[in-house]
Amino acid sequence: MELAVQIGLNAVIAGAIYALVALGFNLIYSTARFFDVGYGALAVVGGYTMLYVYKTLELPFALAIVLAVTFAGALGWVIERFVYRPLRSQKASPTVLLVASIGVLTVVQATVAILFTSEFKTLSRDVGATRVFEIFGGVITEVQVIILFVALAIMSTLGLVLKYTLFGKAIRAIADDEEVARIVGIPSRRLIGIVFFIGSAIGAVAGIAVGFDTGLQPTVGLALLLGGVIAAIIGGVGNIWGGVAGAFLLAIIENVGVWTFSGEWKSTVAFAVLILVLLFKPRGLFEK
Amino acid sequence: MDYLIHIGVLICISGILALSLNLVVGETGLVSVAHAAFYGIGAYVAALLLTKVGLNFFLAALVGMAFSGFAALAIGAVLARFKGDFYVLVSLGFNMIIYSIMVNWQSVTNGPLGISAIPRPAIFGYVFGTTGPYFLLAAIALALTYYFCVLLTQSSFGRVLHGIREDEEATSVFGYRTTHYKVLIYMISAMLAGLAGALFASYITFIDPSSFVISASIFILAIVILGGLSSHRGVVLGAAILIALPEALRFVGFPSEIAAQMRQLTYGLILILLMLYRPQGLLGKFKL
Repeated sequence: MELAVQIGLNAVIAGAIYALVALGFNLIYSTARFFDVGYGALAVVGGYTMLYVYKTLELPFALAIVLAVTFAGALGWVIERFVYRPLRSQKASPTVLLVASIGVLTVVQATVAILFTSEFKTLSRDVGATRVFEIFGGVITEVQVIILFVALAIMSTLGLVLKYTLFGKAIRAIADDEEVARIVGIPSRRLIGIVFFIGSAIGAVAGIAVGFDTGLQPTVGLALLLGGVIAAIIGGVGNIWGGVAGAFLLAIIENVGVWTFSGEWKSTVAFAVLILVLLFKPRGLFEK
Repeated sequence: MDYLIHIGVLICISGILALSLNLVVGETGLVSVAHAAFYGIGAYVAALLLTKVGLNFFLAALVGMAFSGFAALAIGAVLARFKGDFYVLVSLGFNMIIYSIMVNWQSVTNGPLGISAIPRPAIFGYVFGTTGPYFLLAAIALALTYYFCVLLTQSSFGRVLHGIREDEEATSVFGYRTTHYKVLIYMISAMLAGLAGALFASYITFIDPSSFVISASIFILAIVILGGLSSHRGVVLGAAILIALPEALRFVGFPSEIAAQMRQLTYGLILILLMLYRPQGLLGKFKL
């Protein structure tokens, strides 16, 4: 019983982080129409900027978060402006954009490793002093509770914005058909830039959450991204709420899998799930 | 001088990898990012046979190639059902799975510690002990691979591959079972990668899973894209450039940790710039 509760709690936390990554990924995918692998690196940029401003410069927590998230968002915007936008105006195929984004991932990851070394680093200022809560015999840290609530807040805000604001309607129009959206006067280029900013910022929150929960390494971006992408695919790519549901489902399967086999097989379990879903339900479990 | 020959051996091994990946990416138009997995299978099987069984190198290399081929049969059959972005993603997933098997199946692969003291190749009592003769061996292997790839692409089989690349549906309408061709070329490509792996293992005399991670697959893909898709001469040139160029960084005097990251950074930048300005690579005949 206690074990089941603990697995459930772990799955909820991991699911919240995957859901954030899947959210940003889906947002970017549905407007720009390609698999942005470089997005994983921006989550890492968020985490490491936090490391710099929060632990090295010792700025207050709230200011540090704002700075880190803004920086990652701005970097996402810049990358879109100077790499993906020229490619899109050349009518490059999605594969070309994907290969370019692999390049982005490699460059950003290497730069982070040069600046901060490849060693494992944690964001918490005082390790061990975190408060721990007990729920039905399972253990959850204060940080994890905060992560969970932040993730839920971001998810519902984004959901409301997409549904009810003019901006959200424009984004959904671009997702439907960019060309038609442009014809009716939606400034699609500028909006796609903004989407990259928001998506990267959400990714950065996920990166910071990982940094507080387990710790950072320059290569964590790819693992995080793959988790998010797998979640997005399970839920049906482009389907925002499907991605969130997929994230929690993936987290549950992973955590049960880790408990059945062992921790080292986590990514194998995730990919096995992905391949099975793609083989039998290629458009996701929650197809619209 | 010995150092230059050492670079020469590495160029030969990467050349074989690039030629074989080009068969899949350049000639057939399938962007697979799992080549390091087959390279690794070849290396591990050959290394285990050399150290544990004491088999002759040339036999061990053949068995290694066979194992790579079998793995590619299973993986290729699944991959053949996907297209475009999903193909890339699932191939990445298989690379990850093979890598975690190398790390976690400790009783066979010795986990992250790897396999050491792999003997150099020997035939009729002659040992390819020093770099000079080894370069000769690697160059012969490269030449044979090159000749084989040229023959293969000029054959009727190669024409069907080009047909699949240009328009798979039309090719299948003409009565070609495109899935069979795709799986077969994937196997051939993987077996050649296995040969490169066996050469690598017996040359360096030590292997561990870190040589077969996803970023190694990205590196091989970068070689193929830089040299030119569907150009045999181009990809060998690409291998020479991408191996030799970062070696120049050594002389600038960076510490080794930074130099390794600088190399990654160079590969990533090359991918981005190529996608933006010359997606067909230096001598390529096909654009993604």
